[in-house]
Amino acid sequence: MNKLQEIAWKEKFPQFAGEVEIHARLELPRRIDLHQIPWIRPLLQSRWPQFLIRSLTLAGFVFTIFAGLFGSRVGSHNFAIIFVWIAWWTALKLAFIPLGGRSWCSVCPIPLPGEWLQQGGILEKSRRRFGLNLRWPKRLRGSWLQSGGFLLIGLFSAVTLTDARLTAWVLIGLFGLAVILSLVFERRAFCSYICPIGGFTGIYAKTAPVELRVIDTAICAAHSEKTCYQSCPWGLYPVALRDSAQCGLCMECLRSCPSDNIAVNLRPFGTDLAADIKSMRQSSRLDEAFLALVMLGSALAFAAVFTGPWGNLKSAAFAIGSPVWLLYGLGLLVLNLVILPGAFVLTVWMGQRWSGVKVQLRRAIADQAQVLLPQGLFAWIAFTVSFAFPKMNYVLSVISDPLGWGWNLLGTANSTWSPDVSAFSHALQVALLLVGLFWSARVAQRLVRKSNQPVFRQALPILLFCLVFSLAMLWLLVG
Amino acid sequence: MSDLLKSLSPVWRWGILALLTLLILFLPIPGNAAEPAEKTFQIKASQFAYSPAILAVNPGDQVTIELLAADVVHGLSIDGYKLETTSDPGQTARLTFVADQQGSFRFRCTVTCGNLHPFMIGKLQVGQNALLWRGALLAGLALIAGIWGVRK
Amino acid sequence: MRKEWIARSVILVLVAAAITIPVVVWQARSRGIVIHARMAETGGWTPENLTVEVGQPLRLHLTSDDVMHSFAIGQSDEPPVNVIPGEITEVTLVFDEPGKYTFYCTRWCSVNHWRMRGTIEVTGPEAAAEAVEPPLYVTLGLDIDAEHHAEILPEQIPSARRGAQLGVEIPNKYISQEFYRSHSPADLWHALRGEARLSSLTNQDLWDLVALAWQSNTTPQELIVGKQLYATNCAACHGESGGGDGVFADGLDQPKTGEHTDMQAGEMTARPSDFTDAEHMLAASPARLQGKVLRGGMGTGMPYWGPIFTEEQIWALIAYLYNFQFELEDQP
Repeated sequence: MNKLQEIAWKEKFPQFAGEVEIHARLELPRRIDLHQIPWIRPLLQSRWPQFLIRSLTLAGFVFTIFAGLFGSRVGSHNFAIIFVWIAWWTALKLAFIPLGGRSWCSVCPIPLPGEWLQQGGILEKSRRRFGLNLRWPKRLRGSWLQSGGFLLIGLFSAVTLTDARLTAWVLIGLFGLAVILSLVFERRAFCSYICPIGGFTGIYAKTAPVELRVIDTAICAAHSEKTCYQSCPWGLYPVALRDSAQCGLCMECLRSCPSDNIAVNLRPFGTDLAADIKSMRQSSRLDEAFLALVMLGSALAFAAVFTGPWGNLKSAAFAIGSPVWLLYGLGLLVLNLVILPGAFVLTVWMGQRWSGVKVQLRRAIADQAQVLLPQGLFAWIAFTVSFAFPKMNYVLSVISDPLGWGWNLLGTANSTWSPDVSAFSHALQVALLLVGLFWSARVAQRLVRKSNQPVFRQALPILLFCLVFSLAMLWLLVG
Repeated sequence: MSDLLKSLSPVWRWGILALLTLLILFLPIPGNAAEPAEKTFQIKASQFAYSPAILAVNPGDQVTIELLAADVVHGLSIDGYKLETTSDPGQTARLTFVADQQGSFRFRCTVTCGNLHPFMIGKLQVGQNALLWRGALLAGLALIAGIWGVRK
Repeated sequence: MRKEWIARSVILVLVAAAITIPVVVWQARSRGIVIHARMAETGGWTPENLTVEVGQPLRLHLTSDDVMHSFAIGQSDEPPVNVIPGEITEVTLVFDEPGKYTFYCTRWCSVNHWRMRGTIEVTGPEAAAEAVEPPLYVTLGLDIDAEHHAEILPEQIPSARRGAQLGVEIPNKYISQEFYRSHSPADLWHALRGEARLSSLTNQDLWDLVALAWQSNTTPQELIVGKQLYATNCAACHGESGGGDGVFADGLDQPKTGEHTDMQAGEMTARPSDFTDAEHMLAASPARLQGKVLRGGMGTGMPYWGPIFTEEQIWALIAYLYNFQFELEDQP
């Protein structure tokens, strides 16, 4: 195993490779480099495995759009609804993100046509490339747009999640947007700045046990061409990767590094949170803090609307364009833009005042927001369990009759088999929320330890915030 | 006291936490010792809500649910109780059972009644929601467990 | 370069498969006519009009696009089949006689559910023109829209059992089916009041005799049929206990309450009749009720059931309607 060294992140994105300064070097144990494992290495080095998976997801994506447009309008019998909002969403929340970080991004089909146009070929780059390759505007960087996108989803969720045609059009819209953005801007602009899924996948990737890091920075310092940066479709500079939020695990840098100096590490959970470095420069940002709060607020809202017994709320969320819907939208926005951020800022400020720690409030908010990540992740996992488990039987039947046209391709069309998971499901949701809360408290503890005044009072307000959120989520899901 | 807490070795710490966890999990929740009675509820089902949507009964009650669909055909099935019925508008359906399981159970519509059908949900509360109480107490414990060890 | 072309072919093949496979499967499985069912407000049956020849099987694939519906042929013995959202139900029909048949939805799917009807034109050699008898109210020259109310009402619900216990014989002319169908309970009561033989009986006693007369014109089996028809077709508006308070009643009650978004533009509706209202019900003859059921309401939103029920079914239903006014069971 090679020694691992990290470089502290600078506060802004490097505009070009020369800007990155090399600060302290540290050794980081507890990593297993997958790239060095003999049977995994060829799978990562060759473009074919990933390409084949992506071509399958692309075909699935096209079929999903087809099913959504032409299939039965009854959601429970349409492949588009069941596979996007139940099967894929569950896989995303229960497997891709907690276990693989941004692993979905590495097999996502949406940016494919744009990528092909940008590099002038599907598997191999050619000299004939399309696209203006403009830089993404500085003002629009960060995950602000992605937070907005997720709130937009929340506003229209009651209809989008239940209408097959609308789901298909949303997918078409995302697809088209990705292509257009690829022709105008450089790299995976859509994925980095617009895709709402990319937004929360990124922040929760900080908790995940997978990372891509450089091994020996001395080698990188001596390498003038920086092929890794040239080949990264996300516009990242692997040497400077501080956390896993931006890296889409596409492995292109791995393939282009002439010194085999990049590692794909399995690591302990949550390593990016309150990370262990001597320098106090955290990699957390204000926009990520806001997104983390939006995810918490959305978890509450979705739990209330979709798994709660309040029919008026559901009808309000469904009646798009009506006055009640405007009221619902207002409530959603107030919760996510005013109440939660306001309460959070207050708790951070109180913690600072109480303990006498002297840190700029913006920095404190960005740092403390890391506490919200494990809890948010597990709240969403618990919500997904509550939302999707009772409908799992539809997955089997929709595989045999994807369009609701009376087919029975695999003989499972009439499968109403659904394990009665109700008792187990509730206990599981509680357990998930508890794990999330415990983990968040752990992160808070680590942050306190790292601060220059390790005073417990600093963390108390934010811990109360977390507790209140957990109790609210608990009541919504199993109350 | 805080000195004592600080000086406890991790083994003791986890031991106390484990003990408290077991206590919270298995301590009986005091419920009201109400006599089992017969209760009848008339539930109107319309797109996409039940009215009333939240029913509260005591453990052991004999519960009758009269389901009346108000616009299209609706159904009702109770999670955990494995009971189901369907009602056409104008034809009340009756479901009678003994509420022998305690807790909070969601009931859902079983006949596709429109877009929001999968989310047409109501709640049956039988006695105390032990899971909620235990979960809330365990949340507090999880918080304490998470931060125990921070130096004052 | 070769790798690039292989990659491009892979993409092309997979994406093409994603689109062509469903189309191919659909072509291969397509036999018969697909009928989509939607609530009447959003389209009803599509297609609405079918044609078939006598003796030829008509294969239908029925599916619903929104809520639970069902499919049945009017005035036929074919049992209704459920038309389930997202699923296909196959039905094969064979018609022996040419003519125009109505198919309709039998499970309430909106307030306009009764408008969900279509026609099947069965072509064939012209059958001998049957002399179609006009319904009774036409023969009698009855104005079924006219006001009708009973002046003298019973104090308690008239009971056929009590009437039987009186041990009085009702003159045959009053209990014949012809009389029953063309006279209202109030008419019979007045006729009985005029009978010298019965002058010793109280008003209530006479009402009990009327109930007895009504009971003798029906059978328990007919009442069961009527009850089932009522529950399936009428209770949604008229109420399960006949009080004009069914689930759709408020919406029909213009202009006091209810939304009119469900109604077709320009449609007038009125609150469904209250069959427990003795004043009106006791003055309604079976012929009048049959007329209303057959023809529907003018400006009231009452459906017309002519093409749907057979005559037997309508008389059974009417017999049951009087159950809201009389106790017709033998057992208390």
